[in-house]
Amino acid sequence: MTTIQKTSALQIKELLSGVSEHGNRHLTEAETDLIQTNILLKEAISKLSASFMAIHEAVEAQRQMVEAVLANQDVDNGAAAALQAHSLQVGVHVNAAVTGLQFQDMTNQLITRTMRRVIGFRDVLVAMGVESDALPVEIDEAALTLLVGKIAEAMQARSTILENELWKAVCQTHMESGDIELF
Amino acid sequence: MAKTILAVDDSGSLRQMVVFSLRAAGYQVTEAVDGQDGLDKAKAQVFDLVLTDQNMPRMDGLSLIRALRALSTYQRIPILMLTTESSDEMKAKGRAAGANGWLVKPFDPQRLTEVVKKVIG
Repeated sequence: MTTIQKTSALQIKELLSGVSEHGNRHLTEAETDLIQTNILLKEAISKLSASFMAIHEAVEAQRQMVEAVLANQDVDNGAAAALQAHSLQVGVHVNAAVTGLQFQDMTNQLITRTMRRVIGFRDVLVAMGVESDALPVEIDEAALTLLVGKIAEAMQARSTILENELWKAVCQTHMESGDIELF
Repeated sequence: MAKTILAVDDSGSLRQMVVFSLRAAGYQVTEAVDGQDGLDKAKAQVFDLVLTDQNMPRMDGLSLIRALRALSTYQRIPILMLTTESSDEMKAKGRAAGANGWLVKPFDPQRLTEVVKKVIG
């Protein structure tokens, strides 16, 4: 068995600890940013939805008033037809708005998926740091090979878990309404 | 009497849009926040239609459908999935679980109303 030079072993230990520490720090920041993004998106959609509902109610009330006026007065066919066309236009825009307002559901799923990957990777780096901290200053090649193997195994196990859990549920790249299929 | 619909989704904003679209068409809509909540509400009242998301905490959509189909009161009640999932594999799973249809998000209110009308009138 060959013993790795003291300085080399120390450098390896420091490298692994460094990667673990820095990686952990940056990924924790990434997780924090993702959480904040999700909070802001949720709040934005809440405000947008409330405004949309209020506008819709107001437009609907106005439409009913116009219909009441039309029913009580002689209005030429052209004006009545124009009002009807306008009403249909409003309906089209309302439908488009309702479709668009569903973006938060999809982006929330994508952000949650990303967060889980970030957390998963951070767990691996933390585990790597723990293993490297436990390394003696003088180790032989066999022990180092064992350590590298353990780290690789931990990463592979975490990757497998994540791939199984993080089924890609959102494939949409635009906000057009999706397919409908009746069985 | 208005037809009743149970809308199951863990997204509050999504449920709001479903409720808005279907109530405007004259349906009575009850919300559930996840599969378990949906199952509890379905057991308390027999709805004319169940509209459910797939990816939810506590109980996902496919599990909810299987649980509903195991109830004698829900053997023939139409159940539609409303989900971001669009793969043939998932649709096949939905069909096998007992779903009657698959709607991919985002939905258009007019198209949603048309398909609901087609299914329950």
